[in-house]
Amino acid sequence: MQGAGTYTFQFGVVFANLDKLLEGAWLTIQLSAMAMALGLAVAVVCAFGATNGARPVRWAVRGYVEAIRNTPFLVQLFIIYFSLPAVGLRFDPVEAALVGMVVNLGAYATEIVRAGIESVPRGQIEAGRALGLSRLQVFRFVVLFPAVKAVFPALASQFILLMLGSSIVSAISATELTAVTNTLQSTTFRAFEFYFMATGLYLAMALGFRAALGAIYWLVFRRGRGAAA
Amino acid sequence: MRSAFKLAAAAVGAVALLSLSAPAGAQQETTLQKILKEKKIRITGELTSPPFGILDKDGKPTGSEVETARQLAKDLGVELELVQVPGPQRIPTLLSGRADVAISSLSITLARAQTVMFASPHGALSVVIAGKKGVDIKSAADLKGKRIGMTRATLEEQEVPKIAPPGTNIVFFDEHAATIQAMLSGQIDAAGMAAFAAQSVAERNPSAGIEVKFTVKTAYYAAAVRPGDHDLLRFINTWVFLRTQDGTLGQIYEQHTKVKLVPLPVF
Repeated sequence: MQGAGTYTFQFGVVFANLDKLLEGAWLTIQLSAMAMALGLAVAVVCAFGATNGARPVRWAVRGYVEAIRNTPFLVQLFIIYFSLPAVGLRFDPVEAALVGMVVNLGAYATEIVRAGIESVPRGQIEAGRALGLSRLQVFRFVVLFPAVKAVFPALASQFILLMLGSSIVSAISATELTAVTNTLQSTTFRAFEFYFMATGLYLAMALGFRAALGAIYWLVFRRGRGAAA
Repeated sequence: MRSAFKLAAAAVGAVALLSLSAPAGAQQETTLQKILKEKKIRITGELTSPPFGILDKDGKPTGSEVETARQLAKDLGVELELVQVPGPQRIPTLLSGRADVAISSLSITLARAQTVMFASPHGALSVVIAGKKGVDIKSAADLKGKRIGMTRATLEEQEVPKIAPPGTNIVFFDEHAATIQAMLSGQIDAAGMAAFAAQSVAERNPSAGIEVKFTVKTAYYAAAVRPGDHDLLRFINTWVFLRTQDGTLGQIYEQHTKVKLVPLPVF
């Protein structure tokens, strides 16, 4: 910190703007929660396609997963927000952010769920088929539940990464926590104070999501095991 | 785990020792002295902000502010290290000590003057509302109900909300490039930006039909230094005075903006 010894922290302005920061954090929470639910749905469908689908379906899923996992999230957002209007598909910033997050998470989660599906012993699947269940029924009643259970910790990590990664959607003017922080710091010039506060809020949200996901795991996979399986 | 703790404790101890061993009360080296001793000055360069900072056809930084920074380094007889920053990080980069001087078309405002020290201005810019030809905006009152984009931490961010009537939907982007892209793709109805930027966008995208709707404000911009760097500030003021007198700064300005530099006040 050479030459920066003159900086004095002033947190008053941060607390004066706490309501705006919390509004931004609330949008981050909403976006993340919706993207988690929708992204998981995309992932389950794609993972089913990748493991049970016809060859073209497998290729399509493969292409989607590779295209998304090997390109930057920011570029994906720019394409959704800036380029799709050229072909008549116009999203407002929050919609574009949600679409981007779902598409992005969907690709990562597809790989995770697919790993879970492959961890289900073949014998169980064959037992299901022997009982006369269709492929879809086997997937729905025999495979899906233990598969998601097996990879739930990995999924939860991916969900938290998504929540933290949502800071990038400020680039397309969605007013989530990072966008609000950037606007406030650029009008008050209290950059360090606001970024510290944002860091604290992200940490709190990450821990909150982790706790919520833990609770969901307990409710779905432990307590309700008999009923749901 | 235990060895990690030991390592951390050793590091803390070393830092404490180092800070203790520094001679108490010794004269601290000023930023200007450091620049001259290291033969290197670090200046912010915002390279997505035509005509102030932009990459030329070969990907080399240029623009009126980049060339101004080069001139300052040359006149100091030191090497220039351009610290690339996005617009909103110009002041934080300076305050955190990653740059010695900010020369990135920072317009002089009271709000900014509370955190950095401004030198005398070396350029002037106007903020305008620009948009496509079909968009019906003639004055501030017409902004009502429209989506108006602008870049964070710019003069337009401070000035446009002041004149915008209630019901104006103002959206912020982190980069000029994003604001311009949003305007070109129709995600916003119009954008607040520097007059030069509007001109440059219009020239580069003749088919988009971008035009200036009205001028919001004209302002002066200057170099900025960290609070307390008085000798560096004094040097830059002297330099601005001399280089304005001999026409060097005016020449750089006119070459990149294609506009004649207005007489600059000194403070």
